Amino acid sequence: MIFEHALVLSAYLFSIGIYGLITSRNMVRALMCLELILNAVNINLVTFSDFFDSRQLKGNIFSIFVIAIAAAEAAIGPAIVSSIYRNRKSTRINQSNLLNK
Amino acid sequence: ILGSLGVVLFMNPIFSAFSLGLVLVCISLFYILSNSHFVAASQLLIYVGAINVLIIFVVVFMNGSKYYQDFRLWTVGDGITLMVCTSIFVSLITTILDTSWREIIWTTRPNQIIEQDLISTSQQIGIHLVEGYVIGELCQLLDVGLVGYQLMIPSLPFASQLVNHQG
Repeated sequence: MIFEHALVLSAYLFSIGIYGLITSRNMVRALMCLELILNAVNINLVTFSDFFDSRQLKGNIFSIFVIAIAAAEAAIGPAIVSSIYRNRKSTRINQSNLLNK
Repeated sequence: ILGSLGVVLFMNPIFSAFSLGLVLVCISLFYILSNSHFVAASQLLIYVGAINVLIIFVVVFMNGSKYYQDFRLWTVGDGITLMVCTSIFVSLITTILDTSWREIIWTTRPNQIIEQDLISTSQQIGIHLVEGYVIGELCQLLDVGLVGYQLMIPSLPFASQLVNHQG
């Protein structure tokens, strides 16, 4: 059925997102992999809402909130990354220690 | 599905950003297939329209000669992380396939509130958002008790339909 295929797709995206988030050395790539994780969570919410709660649509409402939080994160995260880039000329994750001085 | 591998494994960040856009468009098509047209529209407008454009802008903005010096080092930590994430994926697959979803759906099916079929998906999302959150805030703002809450619901045009249907 399409239900288990959707859950397998969500687990697949979540695993790839975690792998990319842990092993990436670039800050921008880490933000992209974080988007993959949020989309995997959204697929789970919409799938369970469509399967169990086909009238109330509470899973859809929750996924809209997740999309809003992801939009706010996508606005603030690249702003911080570009600010660090102007100061340090690098987007490596382990060189983000400006507050340590 | 292959695009999400491209997000992680591409050397050039511009290719990663474009494959991320490909993944988001495919997920939006999946939402349409899953009878969630409003979430599909939100996905296309917010993720592909705003977030992906923002990520491509940041990638193009920071694209200098630094990236060509970042040759990829396949260290021991990457192998360990790959094994950990593969085991996470395998355990999630076994959990998904072993759970009997049919038995869960019969226990939750009679508990659903049967609403009218004339209300479309977008209107139901709007009704749940306004009814669940704004009415509570209005009652808390006006500092009325339970009696005021009972008096307030029939005066609202959209909530009176639900109240009369349930009562």
